[in-house]
Amino acid sequence: MKISLNWLKNYIELKKSPEELAHILTMAGLEVEEIATIGEIPAGVVVARILSRDTHPNSDHLSICQVDAGNGNQFQIVCGAPNCDAGKTVPLATLGTVFKDPEGGKDFEIKKAKLRGVESFGMMCSARELGLGCDHDGLMILPEDWELGKPLSDYIEKDTVYTVEITPNRPDWLSHWGVARDVWALCGGRRSFPNAQLPSVAGFEDWNMLVKVEAPDLCPEYTARVIRGVKVAPSPKWLKERLEAVGIRPINNIVDITNFVMMEFGEPLHAFDTRFLKDKRIVVRRAAENEKIVALDGKTYDLDNNTLVIADTEKPVAIAGVMGGEYSGVLDDTTEVLLESAYFNPTSVRMTSRKLGLSTDASYRFERGVDPDMLETASNRAASLILELAGGELVSELIRVKTTRPEHPRIMCCFSKINSLLGLELTAGEIVDILRKIGLGVSNIEDDTCLVTIPGFRADIKENADLAEEVARIYGFDKLPAGKVNAIQAQPYSEDAYAATEKLRDQLIASGLDDCVNVSMLDEKTALSDPLFEAGDLLKMNNPISLDLAVLRPSILPGLLACVKRNVARKNQDLALFEIGHVFCSNPAKYPEERDELAIIMTGRAHAERYSAERAVLFDFYDIKGVLESVLELRRTRNFEFKPATDPRFAKGVCAELLIDGKQAGVLGKLHDKMTKGMRIQTPVYAAVIQLDSLLNAEEKSINYEPVSQFPPVTRDVAFLAPKELDNKTVLDFIASQKINNLVNAEVFDIFSGAPLPEGAKSMAYSLTFRSMERTLTDVEVNTAHEKLRDALAKKLGVELR
Amino acid sequence: MLNELLEKLKEITSSATEALAAATTEADVENVKNKTIGRNGSLTALAPMMGKIAKEDKPVAGKAFNEAKTTIQNQLEEARERLADASGASAAEAIDVTLPGRKWRIGTKHPVNQTIDECCAIFRRMGFVVAAGPEIETVHNCFDALNAPADHPSRDPKDTFYFDDGRLLRTQTSTVQIRTMLANKPPIRIVSPGRCYRRDTPDATHGVHFHQIEGLYVDRNVSLADLKNTLEAFAEEFFGKGVTIRMRPHFFPFTEPSAECDFSCVMCGGKGCRVCKNSGWLEILGCGMVNPNVLRNVGINPDEWQGFAFGMGIERLTMLKHRIGDLRLFSDNDLRFLKQF
Repeated sequence: MKISLNWLKNYIELKKSPEELAHILTMAGLEVEEIATIGEIPAGVVVARILSRDTHPNSDHLSICQVDAGNGNQFQIVCGAPNCDAGKTVPLATLGTVFKDPEGGKDFEIKKAKLRGVESFGMMCSARELGLGCDHDGLMILPEDWELGKPLSDYIEKDTVYTVEITPNRPDWLSHWGVARDVWALCGGRRSFPNAQLPSVAGFEDWNMLVKVEAPDLCPEYTARVIRGVKVAPSPKWLKERLEAVGIRPINNIVDITNFVMMEFGEPLHAFDTRFLKDKRIVVRRAAENEKIVALDGKTYDLDNNTLVIADTEKPVAIAGVMGGEYSGVLDDTTEVLLESAYFNPTSVRMTSRKLGLSTDASYRFERGVDPDMLETASNRAASLILELAGGELVSELIRVKTTRPEHPRIMCCFSKINSLLGLELTAGEIVDILRKIGLGVSNIEDDTCLVTIPGFRADIKENADLAEEVARIYGFDKLPAGKVNAIQAQPYSEDAYAATEKLRDQLIASGLDDCVNVSMLDEKTALSDPLFEAGDLLKMNNPISLDLAVLRPSILPGLLACVKRNVARKNQDLALFEIGHVFCSNPAKYPEERDELAIIMTGRAHAERYSAERAVLFDFYDIKGVLESVLELRRTRNFEFKPATDPRFAKGVCAELLIDGKQAGVLGKLHDKMTKGMRIQTPVYAAVIQLDSLLNAEEKSINYEPVSQFPPVTRDVAFLAPKELDNKTVLDFIASQKINNLVNAEVFDIFSGAPLPEGAKSMAYSLTFRSMERTLTDVEVNTAHEKLRDALAKKLGVELR
Repeated sequence: MLNELLEKLKEITSSATEALAAATTEADVENVKNKTIGRNGSLTALAPMMGKIAKEDKPVAGKAFNEAKTTIQNQLEEARERLADASGASAAEAIDVTLPGRKWRIGTKHPVNQTIDECCAIFRRMGFVVAAGPEIETVHNCFDALNAPADHPSRDPKDTFYFDDGRLLRTQTSTVQIRTMLANKPPIRIVSPGRCYRRDTPDATHGVHFHQIEGLYVDRNVSLADLKNTLEAFAEEFFGKGVTIRMRPHFFPFTEPSAECDFSCVMCGGKGCRVCKNSGWLEILGCGMVNPNVLRNVGINPDEWQGFAFGMGIERLTMLKHRIGDLRLFSDNDLRFLKQF
């Protein structure tokens, strides 16, 4: 929406600079996005007349014109405009004229030039070249009575145009009068309402039965009036300037007046040529199914029963509130017009506009809600301008068809609640003053309350909170008192829903993993690359943005794996990544719809070759298990265990499940080749997928201090040959079950298999630590205990001691 | 007798001094020690002489003996230190200290999560706790309860993802406000960070998902001024001292009064630059006093309780803080990007 400063000044006295006013508007909720100055004509541009036009010998689109620039000056100008006909009065930029680049770029100076071999001594200008609107179809044509040789700036008024963003709650700001109302409330000064003077009308003739509203739900009020004997002509300069300033192209005096009044009062009007209204009747009705209309834009629109149309007795002549029909508008030979000023149901207009894909200045206003109190005022204003600028006479008084409109709403205003909401201490007088300034009616003022009557142009105000906003807006948000943050906690920190996840993320990062955030939408194929899920398990959007983003991820793994693939393709080959996020599933047998998941992927080198003779080491199963163990220990998880498992996502034999408190919390291992097929990853890929809840809600160990021994430890080793299937846990469980005196720790320190060991066998070596709380152990008692354990291993576990 | 003793002491100390000066190894030093003050050393051997000294000369003799022993001990220590220093400086042991150390492998936090964590930390210090909720939501929690009009454009399937059963992917984390207010009685003071979805074609400034953090404080006397102070404190904590805010009236269905909050431009300090389009201000967030209808929708009496709410985009904050120009980098997760944070 564009607002012209000169236009505002028609109604209010303004002493602020354009920049100051822009700031005031922005801080009052009418955000100024751009300030433009128009009509700033460069010195050197004069009024000139084309004397002759000849074709250019070397070009089919250029013309050679002789131009009279007044004061006896005549110039030859080579011109590319299609309309540089002899006799036209046009703006001429004489030699030396400097055009400033509105974007702040280089200036452009008019110099003597040769265009395809013909000399040219200046440039004739289009409206756009002069910053006067967007018309660039040809030269700007000036009125014939402008004096040749006079600076154009003598005739063109300079104006400031604001481009403003209007929030949907403020349709009253879609008009200059509406903006002026708030500017006045903010800045004060004199203001004047543009009153219309209309002659009284003697007779009604046969017009009384003209309008019939068959769909009062969609059109609660319709007014019309007929003006006869008008003469359609171009609008005067002031009217064109106003419209051009706000980006509306002038057409003819009648149409321009309706647009002007729309921009003045926010009330869209429409003028019909009564010649095209069959039986001179207006019927406001729902369109019939499959009815069609050719609108002013020349396109045919298919209508249906939900579309409100303005029709005559035969056919629709306009899409109500959206656009007029092609064959009912004002033409050059129109002499009798019917002027419509109506209130259409905002929702109906919005639906129609959306369905037809047709948005106009009128529909924009109707769908936000025009001021129902302004119908007559706007009609009067337009009628008086038509009589003034196009002549003619009123045929009738205003014809008005309306349903009973509810009275203006009245709401109770509570001063103390307003102050409490805003954190201010305004007096009743100050509040009442603000409410009155913005045009609200205030009555029944009591100690803490008053009654506020809401006018038609502020239908957005519905209760006390809305009044509080008005008070804050006019008083100034910038004047809200500064102070300390009131930092009282309302809920205990133990209820914090994110602290545990945040801590887990920190722990994973401390374990060397990089945190990722992938899009949670995938294409179906990628989602189903996780063999745990089938097509029926996926949650699909009804309206995906593309097939690549058609389903929600059932697991973090496929997306994270795609991320690994991207990285490897870019030669980021050593990766230890994780992601925590929501996953989604429509099959409750798998999991209930939405839960949090953690996925980890490690591939490539755990560390590179080192200068100190260390070889590069690839990530393996024990790295990913180690990360999980560290995290579980950091979280003081009481009961957890890794067990061999089989899972279609992982390679057979290199897969374990993590049990927490006896329940499966996740699976880890080396990814199955089919999961990484085609990804060009050269190194084995290890992954873990963990349900976050199992991890975060696990039982925690409480920490009770245990005294530490003051006496030295004694260590012994034991090594043996065992069958390959014997796992570490079995050995440790066995050792623990022997209850060896003073044995405080046993851990594996070497495992190997292959030659010279027999097939199917492996060597396992354990380091044993003996220590007493009471005394220094003697060699004899340690040896006895050690021997007892060796004996048990050989006899009961059946391994071959080495 | 005394003179003889003194003479010998002098001899022993001076020969020890000479020998130590010539010592080049620890063994040389030990040798001197053994020969002088050691068990069979020359000084030790003089001890029996002490018994034979005349009584009146004993104090002098004892003093001289002790002095000699101390001197030798000190010289031994000096010699050891000299040798230790010399060996410490030997070229054979010198290392290249500019070689990289053996670092622990340390991961990085995704910049989006860094911002979320930082925001949570700031708001927790102000007494907020973090609340969470699902991403698949009902129309009620996402729009109706938040007072969005039935024909509000944000509900349009052009802009919001829907499922067959009529539910949707939340377009804002305000849904958590509704859930929290339904489950708790005021006072309520929460922030809710999380993923939201809008049906935008991905480009440099749009994506199908983004992250938001919402705040809500409902109590008896919370005011718009409190909101302003809270946001002012946040702006300074997040972007650094000197960052100021301004609130402009705006319109949102879920708040009344509503405001947009601008932060003074963190790029140019408010002087005006390309990023702030020469205005000196950056539009950061929407906020306001909770609309009484929203309170009614969750069964809270707006005459008794009132509150403020705000919501801001995590990616926007992150892009401004780290000068990131393209939103797509966040979901690309290139290691060279991640490792910078």
